[in-house]
Amino acid sequence: MQTAIQLILTSLQIGAVYILFSLGLTLVFGVMRIVNFAHGQLFAVSALVVATTVPWLAGWGLPILPAYLFAVVAGVGVAVALGLLMYVGGFRFFQRDLVGSFILSIGLVLVLDGVLLKVFGGAVRPVPEILPGTVSVLGATITNQRLALCVAAMVITGLLYLALTRTKLGKALRAVSIDHEAAMLQGVPYNAMALAGFIIAAGLAALAGALIAPVTIVSPVIGADYLVKGFIAVIVGGLGSVPGAIVGGLFVAAIETFGSFYFDPSSATIAIFLLVIAVLLVRPKGLLGHG
Amino acid sequence: MDDLKLPCWAAGIALALAVTLFIRDPYIASVLNLIAIAALTAVSLRFVMLMGELNFATAAFVGIGAYTTGAVVTILDWPFAIALVAGGLVAGLVSIVFGYVTLRTKGPYFLLIGFAFTEAVRILYSKSTTLGGTSGMIGIFPPVALDGWMPTVIVAVSAALIFALYALERSDFGKILTAIRDNENVARTVGLNILLVKIACFAAASAAAGVAGSLHAFANNVISPGDFSFLVAAFALAYVKVGGEDNIVGPLFGSVLLVVLGSYALGLGGDEHIFYGAAITLAVLLLPRGITGLVTGRRARAAGKEH
Amino acid sequence: MHAAEQPLLTTRGLTRRFGGLVAVSNLDLEIRPREILGLIGPNGAGKSTTFNLISGFYKPSAGELFVLGEDCTGKSALTISRLGLVRTFQHGSFMRSMSVADNILLGTIHPVKGTAARRARVAETAAMLGLTPFLHDEAGSLPHGLQRLVSIGIAFAARPRLLCLDEPLTGLNQTEVANTLTVLQRIRDEFGCSVLLVEHNMKAVMRVCDRIVVLHHGQHLATGTPAEIRADKRVIDAYLGHRHDH
Repeated sequence: MQTAIQLILTSLQIGAVYILFSLGLTLVFGVMRIVNFAHGQLFAVSALVVATTVPWLAGWGLPILPAYLFAVVAGVGVAVALGLLMYVGGFRFFQRDLVGSFILSIGLVLVLDGVLLKVFGGAVRPVPEILPGTVSVLGATITNQRLALCVAAMVITGLLYLALTRTKLGKALRAVSIDHEAAMLQGVPYNAMALAGFIIAAGLAALAGALIAPVTIVSPVIGADYLVKGFIAVIVGGLGSVPGAIVGGLFVAAIETFGSFYFDPSSATIAIFLLVIAVLLVRPKGLLGHG
Repeated sequence: MDDLKLPCWAAGIALALAVTLFIRDPYIASVLNLIAIAALTAVSLRFVMLMGELNFATAAFVGIGAYTTGAVVTILDWPFAIALVAGGLVAGLVSIVFGYVTLRTKGPYFLLIGFAFTEAVRILYSKSTTLGGTSGMIGIFPPVALDGWMPTVIVAVSAALIFALYALERSDFGKILTAIRDNENVARTVGLNILLVKIACFAAASAAAGVAGSLHAFANNVISPGDFSFLVAAFALAYVKVGGEDNIVGPLFGSVLLVVLGSYALGLGGDEHIFYGAAITLAVLLLPRGITGLVTGRRARAAGKEH
Repeated sequence: MHAAEQPLLTTRGLTRRFGGLVAVSNLDLEIRPREILGLIGPNGAGKSTTFNLISGFYKPSAGELFVLGEDCTGKSALTISRLGLVRTFQHGSFMRSMSVADNILLGTIHPVKGTAARRARVAETAAMLGLTPFLHDEAGSLPHGLQRLVSIGIAFAARPRLLCLDEPLTGLNQTEVANTLTVLQRIRDEFGCSVLLVEHNMKAVMRVCDRIVVLHHGQHLATGTPAEIRADKRVIDAYLGHRHDH
């Protein structure tokens, strides 16, 4: 029972990042009907900026928590700026063009892969501990950092959900996601929505990267692993569905955690893959998908 | 079957083979091998694009072919020809099973499941001690009699398979593929079994990709899981997109151009990823129909002006 | 009715629900050999849904479907099409990027084996529809009326027992309509096929159909000859009286 609770807790905190990552992927697909492989690079850029900035600021004598918060702002800023560049320079010409946009994103992945390696170097960067100590939840332990990560992810997801259901922009985004032609007939400016959706997604990827930086090993290739898992989460949940991304993220995290514990990480990955195939057999558009 | 333009093909293949026979420099020979294998992989990818799907599992099947060949040669100690055929056969069989399940999905789902499959298969190779684990397999040598003839063999096998896929494309089967891409429901209502046709298309392309993998194994003599990541499919996509996807010449032209330029860039100390990435990005933004698309577009406009 | 006159298609209590909406309710339909049957009704009457149900593109929520004597309830579009029911679609029921000949060829691939035999049927089908001069033109570049004929050509090339056409006359001028109706009559008389026609063009429907079925709010309203339907008070009240719709 103790183990089960610990595993569930670990699943939740791994799932938290997957969910944030997947929300961005699914949002972009929902609004623009495109698959953006370069999403992982935005995640990586943010994580790398945070991982570089925190030690640098701390070196200047700034206390760790403000240093981290400042680094998060920097990381998200850089990543979102990069996302904006990607959209304006490329993706806005490929709205609703799955193949074209995908190929473009592959090109960007390759370029950014090389560029990030050159700029940040291949070395691994540890981030100093920000919230020391652990806490006990229902008999299982979790570090304060990881707990903060979970809480932050939940807050962000909650805010996103509120934004999508309560704000005018959010409702417009959802309208475009469900039926873009009808939405346009109602006067929703499609191009503005596509831009908004893309930027929000970039922000989500950036936040995910900034949150993961203190608890993991940050290197320029960090995006790739999350990309595979993120896309699996989105396929399982259904492309374009926000609840789907949450379900999918938790699903992948749970199998990865329990699978790694009872077997080993690579078997867990294979299990995830087989389960995705099983889901697709029964529901070719994912559990909650549309489009 | 529509006109297969046999004289053009005969001339082109003869030329390619002639080139291989006159090359003595081992570096150029290796580039020729690369081009032939790249071209075959690109044509395989394009064949699935005919039915409107982006096959990101191509890399997985190249890997399956390579590992099958590696196992046949180093573990079973069977002859070259069998190893080559086995690579394509096993890849084809696996693709039928995989396709039966996944071809019920479309577009982004099919794309992403192909991507996931590539990664899953790679993990399988890494975990398998018989297949050499993460270090991979070594000692995959062609028979001594073929030493020095490998570029010719590789070009010949690639050319044969590329022509076979071309012939399929021009046959009535190829027309069904176009119909599936343009308007699947109409094809369904005239009694065509869409899933079966999709699986057949996918299997043909995957078997060809498997042979490309086998050729890769013999050309390099060593293979490892890292050789068969999704980048293989990404590069193949670059060859198709830069060259042009509207006809069979496009991927061939794209492979030659990008492999040659890429090798040159590597020689300059450049980064392969950035090079290919930039090529893809620029091609997609500036040349949507590829380089051959520019040429045919100009010819069509010239023809239009004559009237 | 003797065995020779067994209906080509029968539905009993055919029903289709979408969530809370009942699109088609309890429909009993019969299509006889060698007849042109019109299916009419106001927008939202359930014509498209019925069409999709009998061709296997939708599964029924309740009821039964028999095609050429076989129980096809819940069977796939592929199964039903191979029994001899071929349909067209309302919009773009053809391949824009292919030539007219290649379009029609698609209909021949399943029923006919061999390149020469297929090409022969393409030629025969094109001749019947007046498409012979356009065989090598790209279908997407042809005027609307010809494109409609190409759609019919693809379907008819499969020589179905029952040809189901979804609004084939939309956007056609008077001459084109007349041509198409003549073709339908030839299909019935020379090839012994039946035709199910969903149409809004009332004049055409009245002229060419042997029998007409009227749907309203997803339910069967009336069945009869054109004369009977024209005089049917329920139909006039619900549909024909509002002549300004079309």
